[in-house]
Amino acid sequence: MSAEIKIKAEPRSEFGKGAARRIRRADKVPAVLYGHGTAPVHLTLPGHELMLALKTANALLTIEIDGDSHLALPKQVQRDPVKGFIEHADLLLVRRGEKVTVDVHVIVVGNAAPDTLITVEHQAVPLEVEATHIPQSVEVSVEGLPVGAQILAKDLRLPSGAALVLDPEALVVHVTAQQSAEALEADLAGAEAELGVEHEAPQAAGAEAGAPAGSDDDAGSGEETAAGE
Amino acid sequence: MLIPRRVKHRKQHHPKRTGSAKGGTKLAFGDYGIQAVERSYVTNRQIESARIAMTRHIRRGGKVWINIYPDRPLTKKPAETRMGSGKGSPEWWIANVKPGRIMFELSGVPEDVAREALRRAIHKLPMKCKFVSREAGEY
Repeated sequence: MSAEIKIKAEPRSEFGKGAARRIRRADKVPAVLYGHGTAPVHLTLPGHELMLALKTANALLTIEIDGDSHLALPKQVQRDPVKGFIEHADLLLVRRGEKVTVDVHVIVVGNAAPDTLITVEHQAVPLEVEATHIPQSVEVSVEGLPVGAQILAKDLRLPSGAALVLDPEALVVHVTAQQSAEALEADLAGAEAELGVEHEAPQAAGAEAGAPAGSDDDAGSGEETAAGE
Repeated sequence: MLIPRRVKHRKQHHPKRTGSAKGGTKLAFGDYGIQAVERSYVTNRQIESARIAMTRHIRRGGKVWINIYPDRPLTKKPAETRMGSGKGSPEWWIANVKPGRIMFELSGVPEDVAREALRRAIHKLPMKCKFVSREAGEY
C-alpha cells in the first residue's frame, strides 16, 4: 500500500506553450486536476517533489491548493522521451473509500524448470481497488513450472479487496521452451551468411591440426640437416 | 534481413529527420532495451548485425524484440555517372529513427548479461544510444 504524499500546488492562470515553458524553466510542472464532474483546476506543481512522488506506482497524492487539500491519483504523465523529465501531469480526483481502476505491475518470482523461457504477456493488470489501498504489485510465482505452463488472469493471487478488471482467461505469464543450441547456431550462421560476415579462420584449431604434420616436417628437416652436417 | 515484401513507391524522398520520437519511447515487451539518443537512418544490415551481436552474447537464455522496421528505400546513382537521367536505383532499406525511440528489447537474462549484450549491439548502430531498463514502480 502506498502512503499519501503531500504536494503543495499553486493555481495556474496563464496557459499555452509560452507559459508552460516559463513554468518548466522554474523547475515546476504544469498540471491539471479533474474528476467527479468538477471543472478542471489548472495547477503548477514543484518538479522535484512530483518526480520523487511518481517513482511510486499509482502514488496517492494529497494536493494542497490555497488551504484546501484534494486526494488525487496520477492519470497521465507526459515525459521528455530522452531526458525523462516530467512535462505535464493529469491528476484524477478521488475520494476516500472510493473504488478506482488502476494498472498494477506484475512481478515474476522464482525460477522455472531448466531450459525454459518466461514470457510476461501482461506487464501490468488492471485492478479495481480502494483508492487508499492500492497494492504496489502483484507477484506471480513460476517456481518449477514446466514448458507450456500458463498463468491466466484468474490464477493471480490478488490482494484482499482487489477485483480483476480483465478477462479471467487472459494470458499473463507463459513458460516456453528455449531455442535449441543447434537451431540458434543455424539461425545465426544463416543471418551472418546473408550479411556476408566472414569469421576469421580458427587459427588455434588450424595450428593444432597442422602442427603434427608441420612438426614432423620440421623434425625431418632437422634430422636431415643434422645428418648432412 | 528485414526487407519489405512490397512497397507502394519504389523510389521515395528521404524521410524527415527533424523532431523526436512520438511513440515507442517506453519498454513495451522486455525488461531491458536500447534507446536512441540521436537521430539517424538505420539500415537493415545494421539492425541484423546488432541482433546477431546480442544473440551471440545471450546465447539461448533470452528473448529479443526488434521495434523498428526498415521500410524506407534510399537510392544511389552509379559511380562515374553524369547528373540527370533520372533517380538512381534503390540501394538501401532504412528505418528513420528519432531520439527517444526504443529500438531493441531484451528479456529473460540477468541485468549484467543484458547490459553487455546491448552494449555490443549499440556498437553496431550508427548513433549514440543508451541502455534502459524497466523500473517496476515508476509511473
